Amino acid sequence: MTSDLVFWAGVVVVFVGGVFDFIAGLGMLRFPNFYVRLHAATIGTIYGAVLPLIGVALMALGSPIPNNTFIAGGCLATALVLFLVAPIGSHLLAYAAHKARAVEWSPVVDQLGEEE
Amino acid sequence: MVEFTHLLFAILAAPYIAAVLMYTARAVKGPTVPDIILAVDCMSYDLAVFLALLSVYYRSPLMIAPAILLALWAYLLDVFASKYLVSKEVGA
Repeated sequence: MTSDLVFWAGVVVVFVGGVFDFIAGLGMLRFPNFYVRLHAATIGTIYGAVLPLIGVALMALGSPIPNNTFIAGGCLATALVLFLVAPIGSHLLAYAAHKARAVEWSPVVDQLGEEE
Repeated sequence: MVEFTHLLFAILAAPYIAAVLMYTARAVKGPTVPDIILAVDCMSYDLAVFLALLSVYYRSPLMIAPAILLALWAYLLDVFASKYLVSKEVGA
């Protein structure tokens, strides 16, 4: 009974994460330039990868499969690593793109560019 | 019961497959290098989730270890690509 509840809670979390991931993919495809696409990408990493990994851990804990605590622990470790690492990566990429002037855009105000 | 499990996992996996296809389109036609790197990042994070889902579906823990490696590999791609973009050399 309790394991069924945990399993279906995991299913709901994974489905919500899938919806977020679909929205992030749409934004990645439709947004105009790199700095706006960065917003869609960070939604796709936190709500579209960290949240579903926690959901998959709940699904593994709630289903009677062999080695389910191993699967759940791996999912939680991956979620923790992603939660720490993905914001660092996107900040680095934004800084590098601005520094290398790789993106053509027409900003209203660009204070980081004025300082140089 | 078996068909129900198949249907459940198909419904759960469908948005991720659609998102991976859209990220692939952006990675193929992305106008600048940071766009391509960002799309490949999102693709590998999604593949990590997909591997975890597959390991629950196939009832085998073998596919969990590649998930954490994929996450760390995407971070490594970020770090080295941005270092190359800033200083025009990869370094050590």
